[in-house]
Parts: sequence; structure tokens; C-alpha cells
Amino acid sequence: MDEDQSAEEVTDTKIIIAVESTIGNSSYQHSKINQWMSGIVESSLSQLTKLGKPFKYIVTCIILQKNGAGLHTASSCFWDNSTDGSCTVRWENKTIYCIVSVFGLAI
Amino acid sequence: MDAGASTYLIRPNYKDKFKAGVAKECIGEILREQLYGVQYDPEEAPALSRALADCIKNKLRDVGFDRYKLIVQVVIGEQRGEGVKMAARCLWDADTDSFAQDIFMNDSLFCVAAAFGVYYY
Repeated sequence: MDEDQSAEEVTDTKIIIAVESTIGNSSYQHSKINQWMSGIVESSLSQLTKLGKPFKYIVTCIILQKNGAGLHTASSCFWDNSTDGSCTVRWENKTIYCIVSVFGLAI
Repeated sequence: MDAGASTYLIRPNYKDKFKAGVAKECIGEILREQLYGVQYDPEEAPALSRALADCIKNKLRDVGFDRYKLIVQVVIGEQRGEGVKMAARCLWDADTDSFAQDIFMNDSLFCVAAAFGVYYY
């Protein structure tokens, strides 16, 4: 369980790096969204795979344009608490909100 | 979870697989039932999204995907003309694992629910 928790902290940092390197200082642009999406999710997943742990991963990413609207996300999981875990990272800049969730399930 | 672990199945039977079609219908039904006519309310939205996620997860467990770990993610947002995009990528066993999703929209809110089923070897 300890190993699992420190893996979550490491995951946090890696995801923030993946998001910043893809959308860093950009403003929301509808035409680039697909590209950014794939970039963020794929680089997060490849960082996680490099950790080499025996986990299956699910990475979801939500990109939202800032215009005053509200957004809520919730997740409910049926798994083994001692071996599986999740972590969610929120990132924002002046025009974009980005929420990345990673779920790791032990094999 | 522990009762099934001793049978050492590494592949589900064809009929025990996580069926995306069935799961999608369950999700769609729950969303339509619970969100029909509901207005976006920033105070209630957190509780509503959590309740929806739990409800969908319980319904999927009742449908009976044995030996599957389930993850349900629900996103509720206010409709104000903003641009939103949601994507997911998974590192899993494509033979045994799958996902289902559905969207509900009305004038004041939109809701996306995604359910992932991961086989427990």
C-alpha cells in the first residue's frame, strides 16, 4: 500500500509535466483541441508505462474553456482498495482548465 | 472479489465479458431518469455527480459482470456555450477489458458518464 501511495505522488508530477509540455502557455483554440488531447493523454500514459509497474492504467482528460461555467466530476470505483488507486490533477492557465484522472489497477 | 480468485481464470467466457452495449444502456437509462428536467445548480452538482456515479456503479454490479473491477466517472457541466472535450486512453488487456459511455444534455447542463470494466485475473 505504501508503494502504491508514493506511486501516486510520482504520477502527479509526471502528469503535470505532460500537460505543461503540451498546452503550457496556449490559449483555448477549438482547432487544436484534438491534438492537445491526444498529446496529453498519450504522454501521460507513456510516462506511466515507463514506471514499469504491474498495473493496468486508465487515463482520462477533460479540457474546458474558461467562460464562467461550472463543471463537476465524480468517480465511483469497485476495486481492491489495498492494491488499486487513482489520482486526479487539476491544471489551469488563463483560458483553459484541464483535469486529468489516472486510475491504476493492479494485475 | 476473494471468492472468484481461487478459480484462476485468465480469460472470461464469451458470455461473461464486459458488454459495452448493455452497460451503455444502463448508463443512459440512469442519466435520463435522474437528470430529466434538472437545472444546473452549483450547490447540488457535486452531490448529484457523486450520487450518479454510485448509482451507475451499483447498477452495473447488479447486471452481473463477475470478476470485473469497475470504474465509473461522471462529469456534469453547465451549458454556457463553452468548448469542452473529454478523452481517455487505457493500458489494459484489449481482449478482456472494455468501456461504455453515454451523454445526456438539456438546456442548462450536460452530463457525460463513462464506465470502464477491467478483468481481475
